[in-house]
Amino acid sequence: MRIHLTVWRQSGPKDAGRFITYTAEDVSPDQSFLEMLDVVNEQLIKKGEEPIAFDSDCREGICGTCGFMVSGIPHGPEPGTTVCQLHMRKFKDGDSLTLEPWRAEAFPVIKDLVVDRSAFDKIIQAGGYTSVNTGGARDANAILIGKSIADAAMDSAACIGCGACVAACKNASAALFTSAKITHLSLLPQGQVERTTRVVNMVAAMDDAGFGSCSNEGECEAVCPKGISLKNIATMNREYWKAMLAD
Amino acid sequence: MRALRMLGSSVGNKLLLGLTGLALFGFLLFHLFGNLLGFLGPEIYNEHAHALISNPLIIPAEFGILAIFLTHIYKAVVNYWKNRAARPVAYGVKKWAGGPSRKSVGSTTMIWTGLSVLIFVAIHLKLFKYGPVYFEAGTGVRDLYRLLIDDFRRPGIVAGYVLAMFLLGLHLRHGISSSIQSLGLMPESWTARILRAGIVLAILIAGLFAVIPVAVYFGAIR
Amino acid sequence: MTLDSKIPSGPLAQKWDNHKFASKLVNPANRRKHTVIIVGTGLAGASAASSLGELGYNVLSFCIHDSPRRAHSIAAQGGINAAKNYQNDGDSIYRLFYDTIKGGDYRAREANVYRLAQSSVSIIDQCVAQGVPFAREYGGQLDNRSFGGAQVSRTFYARGQTGQQLLLGAYQSMQRQVAKGTVKQFAQREMLDLVLINGQARGIIVRNLITGAIERYVADAVCLATGGYGTVYYLSTNAVNSNVTAAWRAHKRGAFFANPCFTQIHPTCIPVSGEHQSKLTLMSESLRNDGRVWVPKNKGDKRHPNDIPESERDYYLERKYPSFGNLVPRDVASRNAKLVCDDGHGVGESGLAVYLDFKNAIDRLGHDVVAGRYGNLFEMYEKITGENPYNEPMRMYPAIHYTMGGLWVDYNLMSNVQGLHVLGEANFSDHGANRLGASALMQGLADGYFVIPYTLAHYIAGASIEKVTTDHDAFKEAEDNVQSRINKLLAVKGSKTPRQLHRELGRVMWDDVGMARNEKGLKNALAQIPKLRDEFWQNVSIPGDQNNLNKNLEYAGRVADYLEFAELLALDALTRTESCGGHFREESQTPDQEARRDDEHFTHVSAWEFKGVGTAPTLHKEPLVFEEVHPSQRSYK
Repeated sequence: MRIHLTVWRQSGPKDAGRFITYTAEDVSPDQSFLEMLDVVNEQLIKKGEEPIAFDSDCREGICGTCGFMVSGIPHGPEPGTTVCQLHMRKFKDGDSLTLEPWRAEAFPVIKDLVVDRSAFDKIIQAGGYTSVNTGGARDANAILIGKSIADAAMDSAACIGCGACVAACKNASAALFTSAKITHLSLLPQGQVERTTRVVNMVAAMDDAGFGSCSNEGECEAVCPKGISLKNIATMNREYWKAMLAD
Repeated sequence: MRALRMLGSSVGNKLLLGLTGLALFGFLLFHLFGNLLGFLGPEIYNEHAHALISNPLIIPAEFGILAIFLTHIYKAVVNYWKNRAARPVAYGVKKWAGGPSRKSVGSTTMIWTGLSVLIFVAIHLKLFKYGPVYFEAGTGVRDLYRLLIDDFRRPGIVAGYVLAMFLLGLHLRHGISSSIQSLGLMPESWTARILRAGIVLAILIAGLFAVIPVAVYFGAIR
Repeated sequence: MTLDSKIPSGPLAQKWDNHKFASKLVNPANRRKHTVIIVGTGLAGASAASSLGELGYNVLSFCIHDSPRRAHSIAAQGGINAAKNYQNDGDSIYRLFYDTIKGGDYRAREANVYRLAQSSVSIIDQCVAQGVPFAREYGGQLDNRSFGGAQVSRTFYARGQTGQQLLLGAYQSMQRQVAKGTVKQFAQREMLDLVLINGQARGIIVRNLITGAIERYVADAVCLATGGYGTVYYLSTNAVNSNVTAAWRAHKRGAFFANPCFTQIHPTCIPVSGEHQSKLTLMSESLRNDGRVWVPKNKGDKRHPNDIPESERDYYLERKYPSFGNLVPRDVASRNAKLVCDDGHGVGESGLAVYLDFKNAIDRLGHDVVAGRYGNLFEMYEKITGENPYNEPMRMYPAIHYTMGGLWVDYNLMSNVQGLHVLGEANFSDHGANRLGASALMQGLADGYFVIPYTLAHYIAGASIEKVTTDHDAFKEAEDNVQSRINKLLAVKGSKTPRQLHRELGRVMWDDVGMARNEKGLKNALAQIPKLRDEFWQNVSIPGDQNNLNKNLEYAGRVADYLEFAELLALDALTRTESCGGHFREESQTPDQEARRDDEHFTHVSAWEFKGVGTAPTLHKEPLVFEEVHPSQRSYK
């Protein structure tokens, strides 16, 4: 297959970027999207040109490192799939694709398709944990948690923090990411002690980082490679007004 | 104190937008009820209006609605600007994700349909509430029915009203279910139903509001 | 030099308790005056950072990723072992200890493994307190499963994402300390040298991967938790950024590297589809519970698997191992897959794959039951290969998965370099020659949560640590060393990409130092690797400069280190003429092709001392003493 690529190239955080076109030749349908880019990069290096910078690590869809826009959709057209698990058999010979970094005030571009997502760490720092020190925990089975609750908590905890939700949202909102952690911990008995402060502080951190608000469109849910549901955001909102009333 | 500060956050903003939105939705239902009385003739229509106008609580109620309306607009505009700032550089190519997404023309144009409704409301108040005052012969009852017939015989006004109701419908199409989601009152088992109900109600409300000027224009109400 | 493992005296079960009591403590008020560097933020690094932060030390945490949460521990699927005996099926600390020693083919320290089994119990408690959503029974208690052929159900799991959930738990704890200010987080930093002052590890030199700046950090002690070296094979189930660089640079500064030839091959990975392949994806071991492994009886049979009749299929594991069948341990399953493929029975385009067939299971249990057990794995397989395992057998081939070898450490997790501690997969200590399924997560967290807080305090309280700053000459020397290496890399301006050279190295390693090793092959590898290294330094191409994000430069640096390290791995494999665990020497096998250990000559840890690139390293042996368990030959017939 031959694939035409229009790629955002930007040499550094303060530089102006632009789109440059490349052609990937002899693409195998068994290649992953990133392997296709690896090959393009090999050719660029051999020509003495700088390869296209993009982030990736585990390449099996769990670490959350990879991600960019493929023709206007985060991680590309296949639902429930990170771009490292997207395979070229989903495309046709001669397809033209546009690759762009996540765009958000809170995710400044570092280079080409790589953005800085440390804002997500800041949100977790604001309360995405239970305050228990190592050592003093009681026996694990002393806390009984019903299967359905544990399963629901796991659904929310499955978030990989890739940032596709922010990228897809017209407001660059981090509501899905933030609410997934709030929901995970608010469902469990272990998360009850700090339930109120957690939601207040994490929402404040989300705002401080420069993310927008949720317009309830659900683009985030549709592009989330882990299928994190919009109901997490409803839970966050509910937790929020409960915290307000508890004040 | 903290609760007040919390209302200023992105989630607080949306809570207020949702709450005021639902209140305005309630107001719309009540207003629509009054309008539909037009089909039952001038007596009933004017009687209902008079009952409202002559009620001593009308002034505080009007101020209440005004406060809700202004809060809704203010929060929406603030929200809009903050959201714009959250993505200062636009995408070269951006597509809708499809799938379970609820994105619609309505959801993407909320600020514009909302502001259009604001302009409409100003014109609407000028035409009706602060328009020419007629009285039913021999009584102190304001004859709003006559005003209704007068105005809606003018094609420009009818067209304007129908357009405004179309925009209102778009606004409600996203707004009704969205406000429930913003308030966190969307249980999973009800989500699909609430989303559908939001659309049906939007069409119903906008449609029924629009029916009256059209009915007057074509002589069904006279 | 004799290696002192510092194993405490006394009965096995009391060693750790005695040792904790005998260890020195650091006064709570003084802890903030002590700075600790932790490199790596996987399970070991993140748990160490959070627990040392909680204790009040001034922790500096470094990782190469954009966030600590990306570390490769996140990709672990199966679960974490703990001797909780919640299932009342006869598990105990002693049994977990025994299974681990035996599973490691008697090449691990008894005392370390016993401590690991003891700590396993507290790990689960700690993780649950953090809110890790482990799978539960309907009654609300924790669910367990049997994993990797274990005869008790001691594996705790969170769907197929146990590593993710445990790592996020540790990461969140660490973020809590970041908010409190006890841990300072330095993401996007790659450790490129270790700084020694008066023989003590006192700091590191890192490259800021975003700005390219070379930075110096000083501390009272350094902990490396930088993972394994599986990507020396180019293709492995490790993340593409996993590397040996930090450990290797520490080795070059004097830390001994132990048992590098102990590498683990996972039998069920999706086979290579072409030259472009960048990594291999593991499919959980649990698939072998219901899937049947086979190859065509006729060599080079290119028919579609569904067209090959039963009578022409060879279910070779069931044939050779009637009692364990498809559930033989990882190393046995892997080696047999290689044997049948080398014999010409392999399937798929490359001929390097065997079938894993679910047809019988689907007939017996029904589609829905199979989907319930393996649905997510089948989906993943289909995403990658485009083939539907419900309709045709999966194709599987072994791949490098984990490395048991690592920097040598004593019982306190301190290397032979004073103050340099090594945690998790980066050290060599607990798995011997073969790691059991669901034990890697256990070791990472045991080291970070429950060992290093005690042993590091003991070191800090006992050592005399001079007050220095990053202006010290040793920092300058190390920084110059790092800078000149980067300059040298950029100056080559050749025509091969780092990936090309890495791939070539990987091929040599896989062919000659892979699943089955022999003297001829190992000597060939030892001849090839220096040639590749020379070619690298004459012909690598790294466009761009060092003053911003340059992933190709980072990668080239890691490949350069692998080209040095690979030689040590091959040499260690050549020196160890026995077969044990993941290390299979063809010269040392029983008549029916099973691994044969040589306890008389090899009941020791091989710890290698660096003597210069291209110069033979010095071997130091730490004898392994078995007081509790008596080594026996494994048999799965």
